[in-house]
Amino acid sequence: MSRKISMKQAINEALDLEMRRDPTVIVMGEDIVGGTGAQGEDDAWGGVLGVTKGLYAKHGDRLMDTPLSESAYIGAAIGAAACGLRPVAELMFLDFMGVCFDQIFNQAAKFRYMFGGKAETPVVIRGMVGAGFRAAAQHSQMLTPLFTHIPGLKVVCPSNAYDAKGLLIQSIRDNDPVIFCEHKNLYGLECEVPAESYAIPFGEANVLRDGDDVTIVSYGLTVHRAMEAAAALAKDGTEAEVIDLRTLSPIDWDTIVESVERTGRLVVVDEAHPRCNLATDIAAFVGQNAFGALKAGIQMVTAPHTPVPFSPSLEDLYVPSADSIASAVRRTLSPKGASPRIAA
Amino acid sequence: MAPVVGIVANPVSARDIRRVVANATSLQIADRANILLRVLAALHACGVRDVLMMPENGGIRAHVERGMMRARSRGEDIYPALHTVSMPVTGTVADTHHATAEMRRAGVSALVVLGGDGTHRAVAAECGTVPIAGISTGTNNAFPEHREPTITGLATGLAVTGRVPPHIAFSANKRIDVSLVSGATGATVTEMALVDVALVTERYIGARALWRTENFRELYVTFADPEVIGMSAIAGLLEPVGRDESGGLMVRLSPDGDCRKGVTTLHAPIAPGMMARVGITDWRRMPAGVAFVPEVSAGSVALDGERELSFSERDRLSLTLRDDAFRTVNVAAVMRHAGQNRLLTGTPVPVTAAF
Amino acid sequence: MAQNPFPLGKDELLKAYRTMRTIREFEERLHVDFAKGDIPGFVHLYAGEEACATGIMMHLNDNDRIASTHRGHGHCIAKGVDVHAMMAEIYGRSTGACRGKGGSMHIADLSKGMMGANGILGAGAPLICGAALAAKVRGDRGVGITFVGDGASNQGTFLESLNLAAVWNLPVVFVVENNGYAESTAMEWAVSCDSYVDRATGFGMPGVTVDGTDFFAVYEAAGEIIRRARDGGGPALLECNMVRFYGHFEGDAQTYRAKGELEAIRASRDCLTILSERLVEAGVIGRDELQAVDREVNALIEDAVRAAKAAPLPVAEDLLRDVYVSY
Repeated sequence: MSRKISMKQAINEALDLEMRRDPTVIVMGEDIVGGTGAQGEDDAWGGVLGVTKGLYAKHGDRLMDTPLSESAYIGAAIGAAACGLRPVAELMFLDFMGVCFDQIFNQAAKFRYMFGGKAETPVVIRGMVGAGFRAAAQHSQMLTPLFTHIPGLKVVCPSNAYDAKGLLIQSIRDNDPVIFCEHKNLYGLECEVPAESYAIPFGEANVLRDGDDVTIVSYGLTVHRAMEAAAALAKDGTEAEVIDLRTLSPIDWDTIVESVERTGRLVVVDEAHPRCNLATDIAAFVGQNAFGALKAGIQMVTAPHTPVPFSPSLEDLYVPSADSIASAVRRTLSPKGASPRIAA
Repeated sequence: MAPVVGIVANPVSARDIRRVVANATSLQIADRANILLRVLAALHACGVRDVLMMPENGGIRAHVERGMMRARSRGEDIYPALHTVSMPVTGTVADTHHATAEMRRAGVSALVVLGGDGTHRAVAAECGTVPIAGISTGTNNAFPEHREPTITGLATGLAVTGRVPPHIAFSANKRIDVSLVSGATGATVTEMALVDVALVTERYIGARALWRTENFRELYVTFADPEVIGMSAIAGLLEPVGRDESGGLMVRLSPDGDCRKGVTTLHAPIAPGMMARVGITDWRRMPAGVAFVPEVSAGSVALDGERELSFSERDRLSLTLRDDAFRTVNVAAVMRHAGQNRLLTGTPVPVTAAF
Repeated sequence: MAQNPFPLGKDELLKAYRTMRTIREFEERLHVDFAKGDIPGFVHLYAGEEACATGIMMHLNDNDRIASTHRGHGHCIAKGVDVHAMMAEIYGRSTGACRGKGGSMHIADLSKGMMGANGILGAGAPLICGAALAAKVRGDRGVGITFVGDGASNQGTFLESLNLAAVWNLPVVFVVENNGYAESTAMEWAVSCDSYVDRATGFGMPGVTVDGTDFFAVYEAAGEIIRRARDGGGPALLECNMVRFYGHFEGDAQTYRAKGELEAIRASRDCLTILSERLVEAGVIGRDELQAVDREVNALIEDAVRAAKAAPLPVAEDLLRDVYVSY
């Protein structure tokens, strides 16, 4: 059975299904139940934006509110994973990674390698990413490149409810630590999602739109901007292929390279800052492995090298827009497309 | 000569296993410093201008100095000058012995002691005739009386400045001397206890504190107060003996607290929050000056609640109670005298030590 | 033979002595071989602190988890990690406990409940909260022990973990191994509250301080604390005051120590001497029996070094192995 639900509901459903399926799955985080120890309602919040609402009623103490103490509880989730549980720890805003990054990149990410292949750490750390919520510099970042940089971590960033459900189920079943990035501006977006359980394998990009003129690669919210741009370009007769990466580590190089070899043009869109991000990573990979196929210089569309601003007038300029993506595509099509241009 | 008061404050009392096996107090370092500041203010109010303190690395002195500095920076002159005994710090009971001996040589008029029974025992071993004013910051604390430290400080100040006659201000205390002659070497070890000596069958010192009653065999107490906690509570609940009476009490316990014929079962608070059932086979008065040889042939000797010595069948152990062994400030008597004679109605004249 | 006055039977006492002697011999051998240049990387020795690891680990089984520190060899040996595998690891060999990927600071053996030495100070505390949570969720009566030095006790991770363990009532024991120095900095200066028991009290759990050079003091206190945690009584803190016989790391000239300090602690606070004297004095174990253990331990360490030196180094294919379970 399939019906339209939001990405928020899809995530909730994935957690519910996996908790039913596997008693070792526990969910923890700040206010994921809400109101623990307080006088009011049980399950008062279900997470700050209500993503886990209702799970407490179904699974009770397997949902654990934590003190505001990210180092301790993210570390505890990692330690519990190394001892046989499958914890899903919510970090609320992934920007908060700053206070507990050691536990993630020095502990979770390294156990398996550092202990000679004798450890498994099946933990999922999920939280919100991305700008557009008027949440300013410390609650809006797209820090995916930081996580992708670390060997031992897997990084997932779905663009829709269907993928969110399947990828989260896969993340929970996966035996490596997974950083699951949820774009807060996509929570309300609905699409057809099967009610039953299904897993989407990692490292398989989703080609959302076929086209032979240019390849647009993105993930998360900007996938939708890329689709808008592609629709606008189609009116002018340019057919763009749009690839949604879905997982950043592992990444589906084959689909990217195969597409660029066919279109000869590449635009990479990343909501992260312009330096050392997914866009530069993909551009470098394609430059090294498919240079002969390129008919024009690779174009990158990213957020600027600034913190995320607060004022709506500025934040709207910050996130890559459909127009800027379309412009980048046009640059690859123009005779001067190969000329160097410094990204904004 | 202007009186100087000595201060021994132990930073490591109240840190033992009884915090886990029972819900014993763990008085924070900052609280101990605050207690000391209250004592200092009271001493100063009585005209004491100089105190001599034991050095330690546990943080008490640092907190006290901070408190005194803050008072000075507000323009308050409420504390005596604080001097420290010049000596190395080892962080062990040897510091208390060393500091007490130095203070006695320096001629202090009284010693204010912050600690448990163990700390007071260490001070009593070296203080000679210098009177002790005890403040309880330890765990079992049968010896120091529980009282607001400001009052202890006031009584000490009144006593050492000579405004209360010595026969009222100071009282005599008992102790039990323990002598252990090694069967192997012939060497003699002597120790003492202020409140109680417990003989237990376990022969290792371990975590020192006593809390497993199944190993208790014999108990010797200098006084038996039914209001105190610890081993001596067992004696106090059988037959109270006052601090000011001559002699103490000896109690024999049965192995497992059972109710065999001829065994009295007693419920006693042997540690904070810990009621234990002990079987009593015998108890009798322990007169002063008479050496007692225990029935237990091998085990450990716990002095004032802490296992200190172990002995085997080959060793010879004896215990002797002494009356009038050392002096304490009789806080209750001093304060009663102060009230009856309105000692605190005038402004005291400061007396400065040439120190 | 005299009646045994100790809380452990003769076999257990011999086991404790053997463990402590093995740690001492292991570390002293590393001290010598490191100076010869045989060993790559950083090495932090546990010599002098053996009574702490041993007195605690005597109460644990393989289902109990520990999180160790950069000074982790003693914890590993006491928790039952294979000495040959440890030595091979420290020599960077493919036969090592971590196949040569971890080295001295990262020896782990999850099958023994040893969740790793850790190069990040204070990082073990949150992890052990997780291990204890897993035990609590499973209801298997397992406990988690995290070791932290006096230095790392100032890390936020440690303090946050005290709070989390208290809030969740986890079966965790926080062991502060106070050897007086955070690398070269004195504990008295660097720890503002002066007493670890005060810290524990501040987080609503009991704290206990024991003489960490006295095996029986550690053994007895740890036994009570661990039993309490196992029975659902919640977390507690155990501070062991102890001494470090070597520098923070091998090669440390220890110029921060007072003149004569090292000689004094070696003479009066050697936990191994204290234990063996007590065992012999009580007439429970003969000096000859202890010497027999010493000889066996020497042979074990000698063989571990010989085997480590003879073992193959990891090869190029190993470089890319085991980053992920599957990728």
